[in-house]
Amino acid sequence: MSESTGASAPKLSSSVKLVLLGEAAVGKSSLVLRFVNNDFQENKEPTIGDTAAFLTQKCSLPTRTIKFEIWDTAGQERFASLAPMYYRNAQSALVVYDLTKPTSLTKAKHWVAELQRQASPGIVIALVGNKLDLANDFNSGGGVGASGSNGIDSEGLNTEDEENSGDARKISTAEARSYAEEEGLLFFETSAKTGTNVSEVFTAIANAIPESTLKGTRGPGGTSQSGLGGRGDDTSRVNLTGPRRDVGAKEGCAC
Amino acid sequence: MFALAITTWNGSNPAADGLSTGQQKLTIQLAGSRQACERFCDGLKRGLREGVGDVGKMRKVVAECYSEYLCSTEGKRGIPISKDGKHSGKSRGPPDAGLGMVFRYPGDQRKLRDRSKMRLWDEYLRDNGRNLSLVRQPTFHKLIRVGLPNRLRGEIWELTSGSLYLRLQSPTLYTDTLSKHSGGQSLATDEIEKDLNRSLPEYPGFQSEEGIGRLRRVLVAYSWTNEKVGYCQAMNIVVAALLIYMSESQAFFLLSVLCDRLLPGYYSTTMYGTLLDQRVFESLVEKTMPVLWDHLVKSDVQLSVVSLPWFLSLYINSMPLVFAFRVLDVFFLEGPKVLFQVGLAILRINGEELLDAADDGALISILKSYFARLDESAHPRSENEKLRAVTRFQELMVVAFKEFTGITQSTIDEQRAKHKGAVLENIENFAKRTSIRNLGPDSKRLSADDLGTLYDRFYGVLYERQQRMQMIQEENERRAKNSRVRVTEPLAGTAAAANESVEKGRVGLGPSPTLMDYDGFREFLAGMAKWAITDSPSSPLRDALSEENHSYFGNSTKSRGNSISPWGDGNPEPADHEFMRRLFRRWDTDKASALSLQNVVTGMAHVKGNRDIMSSISYFFELYDDDGDGKVDREGILRLSEALLFLSRRGLEGSLTPSTSTSGLTEAENVGSLEGDKRVSNDEKFLNSVSAFIRRCFEYADPDHPQNQDMRPKKESQELTIRGPKAASGIEGDGGDDLLDLGISSTRQAQPSSPSAATVTATAGAEKEKKKVAQLPSGPSPKDFDRDGGGKSPRKFSKAETESANLALDPANPLHITLPTFRMVILADELLEQFFESSFPESFRLSDRKGAAASLTTSTSLTTFSSLGFGRTSPSGGAAAARITTPSISIPAPTATASAPGAKGLRGVLDNIVSDGMRVASEVKRRMDEAQRDMEKNALGRGGGGDDDDDDDDDYEGEGRRGQGSEGGRGEGRRGGVREGDRDLLGGVEAEVGSLKERTTTTTTTTTVTTNQEGEVEGGDNGLNEARMGLGIDVGRRRDRRGSSATEKIIEFER
Repeated sequence: MSESTGASAPKLSSSVKLVLLGEAAVGKSSLVLRFVNNDFQENKEPTIGDTAAFLTQKCSLPTRTIKFEIWDTAGQERFASLAPMYYRNAQSALVVYDLTKPTSLTKAKHWVAELQRQASPGIVIALVGNKLDLANDFNSGGGVGASGSNGIDSEGLNTEDEENSGDARKISTAEARSYAEEEGLLFFETSAKTGTNVSEVFTAIANAIPESTLKGTRGPGGTSQSGLGGRGDDTSRVNLTGPRRDVGAKEGCAC
Repeated sequence: MFALAITTWNGSNPAADGLSTGQQKLTIQLAGSRQACERFCDGLKRGLREGVGDVGKMRKVVAECYSEYLCSTEGKRGIPISKDGKHSGKSRGPPDAGLGMVFRYPGDQRKLRDRSKMRLWDEYLRDNGRNLSLVRQPTFHKLIRVGLPNRLRGEIWELTSGSLYLRLQSPTLYTDTLSKHSGGQSLATDEIEKDLNRSLPEYPGFQSEEGIGRLRRVLVAYSWTNEKVGYCQAMNIVVAALLIYMSESQAFFLLSVLCDRLLPGYYSTTMYGTLLDQRVFESLVEKTMPVLWDHLVKSDVQLSVVSLPWFLSLYINSMPLVFAFRVLDVFFLEGPKVLFQVGLAILRINGEELLDAADDGALISILKSYFARLDESAHPRSENEKLRAVTRFQELMVVAFKEFTGITQSTIDEQRAKHKGAVLENIENFAKRTSIRNLGPDSKRLSADDLGTLYDRFYGVLYERQQRMQMIQEENERRAKNSRVRVTEPLAGTAAAANESVEKGRVGLGPSPTLMDYDGFREFLAGMAKWAITDSPSSPLRDALSEENHSYFGNSTKSRGNSISPWGDGNPEPADHEFMRRLFRRWDTDKASALSLQNVVTGMAHVKGNRDIMSSISYFFELYDDDGDGKVDREGILRLSEALLFLSRRGLEGSLTPSTSTSGLTEAENVGSLEGDKRVSNDEKFLNSVSAFIRRCFEYADPDHPQNQDMRPKKESQELTIRGPKAASGIEGDGGDDLLDLGISSTRQAQPSSPSAATVTATAGAEKEKKKVAQLPSGPSPKDFDRDGGGKSPRKFSKAETESANLALDPANPLHITLPTFRMVILADELLEQFFESSFPESFRLSDRKGAAASLTTSTSLTTFSSLGFGRTSPSGGAAAARITTPSISIPAPTATASAPGAKGLRGVLDNIVSDGMRVASEVKRRMDEAQRDMEKNALGRGGGGDDDDDDDDDYEGEGRRGQGSEGGRGEGRRGGVREGDRDLLGGVEAEVGSLKERTTTTTTTTTVTTNQEGEVEGGDNGLNEARMGLGIDVGRRRDRRGSSATEKIIEFER
């Protein structure tokens, strides 16, 4: 909100390819939709790699503007062999799991392993546990609404550490976090439904992308550190309000 | 010129409502010879006759066709069968023509000129028949090209795609499937459930329970009828679209035509069809639009990220629905090529703009905006009004079908064939990579190479087996001369589908077998462990027996072609040994009677990934600990030893102490023989080790009998003391030999310490005479061997009384060994230790290709035996000498070969040795059982402390008695008795040290004096053979009949 999308004239602007991976129905597309459109649809069409699975959104950092080219992928197992097509040349990846569904974390780990071995060397990977709104501890998490009015940064997550094993929650924050640390991933728990932490994820990724956007060789471990540095800054917030040209074509039915 | 008039069904219904179009008459003019015409007519008649049965179904099927209602003539012009059948007036309400009837069809009816289209179709149907009896005139295609009217759309799709005929074949399949699986759950149903709410959610029908319910039922029913495909995302979208225009069962059959024929492999578990067609599409773009293609390549833009969804969801999600349906109209009529033509046209039309696109994103947004404006004028600024009226979509269709008319189904087939290999390979590499990575923590114990090899072998075997089974099946079918006429519908894509069946089972093609049954497992093992290759192939190599075969079959070539080995050409036939079954069971952790790759990797990790010997030993032990109570009983011990034999019968892998002897060898033979020598000495030593193993196992076994429990501690303590003597014994040679001797001495030491043993000695003096220790084989030490080269090497025979061992065979005294005992026994022997340390794990050769392993096996075993000049005494030969007759190490191969009886050659020698050994072992077991029965029978009548413990062996005595009839036989004399009258293996084996001494001419290795239970052999010419047998017999034969203290010593011979 602090900056308009187009006002990044003097800043360095670079585009970053980001790919979303994760089990079916964990909320990949919803996360993107929330991020790009600040919108949430209860019944989002499954992404079968159709053209609407490509969206863009700009993310303004103090020193530069990052234009995310977001590739959303289908989550069904058999689509896995199509994934390389999408994460090819990706500089960042969002690996999403559903924190109410243990198998989805397993699948997420598989994706992380796949990315670490097969994707571009410097790829920044963020592990995201979605559907935080279904966990009991959600409200204690600081109640970040879709408005995101008070610049919650990643530290806001810490409040979720004292998780009192929520209702539907099956994967504890600690468990996922320790895995993420082990693998050098950024880690967030989000709710695409409410918007909690969604923009933070993208901002953190934007910050973690090495300056030399192209083929930065900084490993994910290091970048997660750098990500922390920039996030307290209000200006690093993502503009969620800009009109997006790419949204909506999916519902292209003329009826 | 002949003509044939056919009256079709429609119009013949008397209950017509007045709109009847009258009978439809088709006149077919046949141009051709009379014969040809008659053939045609015969075929037609036959077809009609066969079709008669379908008439009943036809009514129901046709009733769902909207055309029936539309024309409202009662008539079904069904299959041209003119007799029988009345129409059951059924034109009440209109049949289900999809959700559109309830929720409206997409698009503006007026704009679509639906009504006038309907009129045209009505006319056409009246003139040319409808549904099953429709005749396709040129106008038919034209009418479809301009877009189908909503209500007829579903039916025409069904007709043109051919799914109508599927429905006719089994009209109730859909409802039957649903009711059969009602309430059933599967992965597919779960996945379907997730997507129900997100399938064309913008269409009102799919915001209602009605629409969702239909969608669910169709998808679920299909997933049950084709479980291999199950459910694939994108199917939901396609089916949702279909359901707007057709009934559930229509959509169900159309979906199966899509999956099976029109979009082969698109929705399979690997989606190879999708990937393949993307590749094909790219190559077509490259061919037809080279400039654009160059640009895309240069800007590193991947076309498929855009085009893949076009194909996968038939443009339904890419274009506005009304247009997507127009594409579908043509697609069902003309086949898959339409998807390519339309795709190419899209790129062609947007070519200019696309040349400016620098990345994926730009490419996508250009096309997206293009699709969004498909309804706009293609030439908005044109002067020509007509031109201005042409929409972009119309333009697209024209370009697609005019400009790319050259893209035919055969183009597609050709391209598919060309790229298939690479695409499958890609998928398979991906699958392999992923699969290996996700194998879990156990897999970390194996190297990446090993995992890769395991993966390849695993799926290789599954694939090959499936191929073979199919070939065999086809062969059988062919032989059965089942010449059924197959009705193939004239559908595009059929060729490709047929192609596929040949390659069924390939990983990349989708659902391939992932479980390996026991036979597969055998084959799998045979590919990497030489011990897993059978010794007695059921279908011997033809070359070996070619002459005989000629006479049997007359034509050898033919006979060769006719038999397909179930193990494949050139593959070694796997053995089938209990050990393999145990291994299989052990690995089959899911109790599925089949192994997954995960099972195999985990299993292998535990065998091969054990870096310390202790876990190897435990593993082996546990394999035989059936009930998991930490004990292996007598039976188990025997089986264990059998397994050791089985595993070693082709020589051992790895680093057993080498011995080298090259004297007398020619240069050429040097290498092989060197290897051979080593092998032989190792093999024989290993035999000895196993022999000793059995003996010790029984010595140290714990009695199951509670009152014997107190014995154990003592024995264990003695075990400890053994080490002392061992070191002190200073027997020449090293390693295994010493240990053997040690074992014996420790046995002796053990005896006195056992009170009961003393009793035995006292009370069973007579028997004691009979007791005899098997000649404990102790091979020459490698050093000695080396020293003496081809000549004589010092021989050493240990002989000792091990009365205690007799207990082992006393069925009245159940006993068992525990893991610590087992471990101790193993570690007491260098060879066994090495076996568990390295040989066993290394016997699974992962990095070796199977061919290499197989050839290695063959060549080395040949070398071994030939160079040593082992002949084989046929079982009936009855050679009486217990000895090894290996005159000289350097005897050249040919001699040996010549001396081998039977046509099987040297390989046969080996095979026989092993099978003899095993047979003996099993015979021992049988005898034991017999003995037990016998003993039970005679228990009362027999004295001599049948209940004596540990060191006693009365049942032995009993057996001996029974078998021999006389105990008087001693020494050599007794041997004769054995051969003649005594079938009793247990009592029958004796050897005299003295006689041994005389007879031994061998320079190498060890001798175990043996008796074959068939009475024929006391020592064959074949030392190994003997030794093997001795091993088996050893178990049963622990009696030193001389009973003299002198024989309790270890006796060494040197010659």
